[in-house]
Amino acid sequence: MPREALTLPVLSDTMQTGQLSEWLKQPGDPVKKGEAVAEVESDKAIMEVEAFKDGFLDGPLAATGQDIPVGEVIAYIADSPAPSSSAHNIDPPSTSSPETSTPVIQTKDKPKNSVLTKDKPETPVQPEQSPVSTAIPSTTVNHTDPSKKHLKGLKISPYARGLAQELDLDPSTIRPAADGTIRSPQVIAAALQAKPVELDYGPQWHYKLFTPTHRAIADNMTATLGTPTFRVSARLPMDKLLHTANEQHLSLTLLLARALALSVKKYPQFNAAYTPMALAQRKQVDVGIAMDIPGSLLTPVLRNVVKQSISSLSNDWNTLKAKIKARRISASDYKGATIYLSNLGMFQVVTQFEAIVPPGAAAILAVGAIQEEHAVFTLSCDHRVVYGADAARFLEYFSQLLEKPDSWATN
Amino acid sequence: MERSVLKSMLKDMLLARAFEEQAAYEYTQGNIAGFLHLYPGEEAVAVGVLHAAEPGDYIVSTYREHVHALVRGVPPGKIMAELFGRKDGCSGGLGGSMHLFDKQRRFMGGYGIVGETYPVSTGIAYAIAMRELPEAVICFFGDGAVNQGTFHESLNMAALWNLPILFVCENNRYQIGTEIHRHSKVTEVYKRACAYKIPAEQVNGMDVIEVYKATQSALLRIREGTGPQFLEIETYRLRGHSMADPGSYRPKVEVQAFKDEDPVTVMLQESLPEYPSAEQISAIGKDNIEHLSEHMHQADLISPEEFLRMKQQVADSVEQAVQYALQSPEPSMEEAFSALNCNRGQEVLI
Amino acid sequence: MANEVMLWQAMNKAMDIEMAADNSIFTMGEDVGLYGGSYRVTEGLYAKYGEWRVRDTPISEGGFTGLGVGAAMVGMRPVIEIMTINFALLALDAIINMATKIPFMSGGQFPMPLVIRVPGGVAKQLAAQHSQRLEHTLMNVPGLRIAVPSTPQDAWWQLRQAIQSNEPVIVLEHELLYFSKGSLDTNLDPVPMHRALIRKEGDALTLISYSRSVLLAQQAAERLAEDGIDIEVIDLRSLSPIDWQTCIDSVSKTHHLLIVEEDCGFAGAGAEIAATLSERCFFELDAPVQRHTGLDLPTPYNGTLEAATIPTVSSIINAVKQLVQSGE
Repeated sequence: MPREALTLPVLSDTMQTGQLSEWLKQPGDPVKKGEAVAEVESDKAIMEVEAFKDGFLDGPLAATGQDIPVGEVIAYIADSPAPSSSAHNIDPPSTSSPETSTPVIQTKDKPKNSVLTKDKPETPVQPEQSPVSTAIPSTTVNHTDPSKKHLKGLKISPYARGLAQELDLDPSTIRPAADGTIRSPQVIAAALQAKPVELDYGPQWHYKLFTPTHRAIADNMTATLGTPTFRVSARLPMDKLLHTANEQHLSLTLLLARALALSVKKYPQFNAAYTPMALAQRKQVDVGIAMDIPGSLLTPVLRNVVKQSISSLSNDWNTLKAKIKARRISASDYKGATIYLSNLGMFQVVTQFEAIVPPGAAAILAVGAIQEEHAVFTLSCDHRVVYGADAARFLEYFSQLLEKPDSWATN
Repeated sequence: MERSVLKSMLKDMLLARAFEEQAAYEYTQGNIAGFLHLYPGEEAVAVGVLHAAEPGDYIVSTYREHVHALVRGVPPGKIMAELFGRKDGCSGGLGGSMHLFDKQRRFMGGYGIVGETYPVSTGIAYAIAMRELPEAVICFFGDGAVNQGTFHESLNMAALWNLPILFVCENNRYQIGTEIHRHSKVTEVYKRACAYKIPAEQVNGMDVIEVYKATQSALLRIREGTGPQFLEIETYRLRGHSMADPGSYRPKVEVQAFKDEDPVTVMLQESLPEYPSAEQISAIGKDNIEHLSEHMHQADLISPEEFLRMKQQVADSVEQAVQYALQSPEPSMEEAFSALNCNRGQEVLI
Repeated sequence: MANEVMLWQAMNKAMDIEMAADNSIFTMGEDVGLYGGSYRVTEGLYAKYGEWRVRDTPISEGGFTGLGVGAAMVGMRPVIEIMTINFALLALDAIINMATKIPFMSGGQFPMPLVIRVPGGVAKQLAAQHSQRLEHTLMNVPGLRIAVPSTPQDAWWQLRQAIQSNEPVIVLEHELLYFSKGSLDTNLDPVPMHRALIRKEGDALTLISYSRSVLLAQQAAERLAEDGIDIEVIDLRSLSPIDWQTCIDSVSKTHHLLIVEEDCGFAGAGAEIAATLSERCFFELDAPVQRHTGLDLPTPYNGTLEAATIPTVSSIINAVKQLVQSGE
């Protein structure tokens, strides 16, 4: 009976493994091309795995709740309904064993990535690989390979170079020895810079494994450690904005995002990102909004906030919230903001707080709870991009916007 | 002398000449490459000496050794295939013209470095003497090789330990292009053996019967325990040193010098550097093959018909040798590596 | 049962046991018979086996080494002693043009069960013509095997294996080792002749050496261990073929390679080792491969200068420290 393998798709640029959270179809069920057959949790979100052709789902199905490398076979799509005997779950890691008798037809046409949204600008093409031979997660094409980087003038020993690659360290970030060379001790020191957490003297503990999303957030936060940051705070009146929000039935967060974007428009240096080569000046203001969702943290992005009308923004915002609620959010929904907003105003006890500037942005604005019609705003900035006085002027202008929302918060 | 021996020697000399002329032709056709040292003119030496040898004797030869191998019984096809560099050559295509080997016939090799035949021969002779066997080693070398250190080292040791070696100097009066008077103070090579108390004599290499008889008695003395013997066989090569050598000498003058030891030879030779014409060569007189065939005709040992038949057989066997060589494949790199440790592979790493 | 013996005694014993077992073995060389060998390796054999099997030769290195070749062609197992490696230069035609070429250019018809024993190396003020090492020349000859024993045990094994081998084998014996002591257990199962042995384990650096330099390296390693630098010392034991796998495994563990040899550095044995291991272990190397070798200079007669031309324990220690501490 002809059948073709359905493999775990690559759903983001960083995704190396995913967990199946649920099978939406069972072996023998008819499936249509493009129809969702399973849900997969990647490092960022839960997405759907689509059927790549019409047919019948065929087992064995990969187990849910376990890490599966991208490209692994998770099921088959057969031309006709299979006898039910094959509907055993497979153990994901063991599928890589060549001894498994699982008949596999290697398809030259890989299943298309089944990201819900139609545009997938960042989704990489999966490299050619045998669906059953990759026990080790494969490296995606645009994953940065340190050894391939242009490292002119860097004296690094062959062994150290290999070690850095294995540890996923960019050799250009490793501090060389006194003689200017990088050898294994330097690589190891760099790798150990995140000091081991001292647990032995505390109470007993057990390990709770990271979910892919949690792991991705933790990695992102670690990546920001190298950013020199400063903060500027201001206590600003909120009465007029609250009034407008109530009158227009608009989300306060949305209005704050709009005010933030307009301030960025006024001071475009806040729409730049630091790169080692030069500042990357963005052409449009996209506001990322930190959202508290159970067990996770997401930053859905409102696009082109300066140019869009309030009602159009409102629609976008509602769509994003719905997607998050349905756990149907994709990379293009949460990536690539140029400025960030983090609002803990719903927690009345939080008078003020600091947020961490995410990589790729110059600043993040943290908003505390409203007390006596005022709130404390703290702007955390990447000091490589903007300076203290810039931040002061920025907040001053932001304050003026809050004073006269009628000029910008209505359609 | 027995008629059969004479006939057999005549046939071998005809074969030797035909084989070498064919090899020269194959060289011009590109079937043979590298160095090719040919034997025409010297046939009486190899034929006379080797017909007097026993199958149990060992033969150690130089780089001008095709005919020694042929007369020793190595099939012409095996030799031609080796000259062609083919797998079925007597050295598997790995040795070439200068390195013919046939263990079965105790043909212990052609050596490309002048002066190597002596130590190989003393080694084999040492083994024979140590085991007290009735065998002997026949060690060939040219007049140019007698100034090499190993000549003196080996003659000394052979004499000192009474080793069963017959030293055979093929004195063609030339070390490549240098005439003997220009390379040796003592030009009668046999006299050098006297320094080591080795019995030595000069033999006319144009007369195969004389060579045969001299060898026979020398080998007899060796088997009687007299120790090493030495023959200086005066001969003459008609061709240049190798195919690459045009042969810048004057045969007429050379022959004259051969007879008279004329000291003017060199000067005359250098004034006339062209290769001799066919007329010039025929003007020299009889060569060593003609010597024998004439002798046999006159003694009524062979009829003109039989002589013609013999010539035809020889021509056929040379033609077959060429066909055999052409049909043999080239050796593989695996065979080359395998030969290095005599086909024992990793087992050698004890 | 292991006995403490000197290296020459181990070789003498090896010669005796092999000659007793196989009468196709004979030994030959200058003063190997009545005199007993200039380093006593053939002592007592002349009386026991007679002059045909233990032959004093005239001073004719080219002649009698070539004689060994001829004898080996007809099934003998000659053990040729050339009094020193310096004289072996006169026998290179027999070694290179004959011994290794005859098996090959005869298309594999003639095995070459020939052993050539050659003392050599820098001894005590023997001056430029008597202090050479020719590893490089011999290593460059395909088909020649080279054993370089550093201990009595290895000398015992390797000489016997060389005699039993059907390949031409050169046994390079260091003149300063003949009277060095070590344990010899004649009942031990032999290590294959070409196998490298790890004399000391460690993980800081791989030191590859052979012959007398191994002993110096071992002393250096002990002193380094006191400083907390734990190096691995490999005794190659054979320079052709070389047991690359043992070397590769070690370099893959230590990521540092130092080669110590007494011979001149330029185009020497160390150059071959460095080149091959750089090719095969490139991605394991944490520092450039280093060679610590004899100077590219004829050996001076003057004792102080002579000692300064070759590696010593302290110079090896320095070389190791420089290599492991570079990049710190």
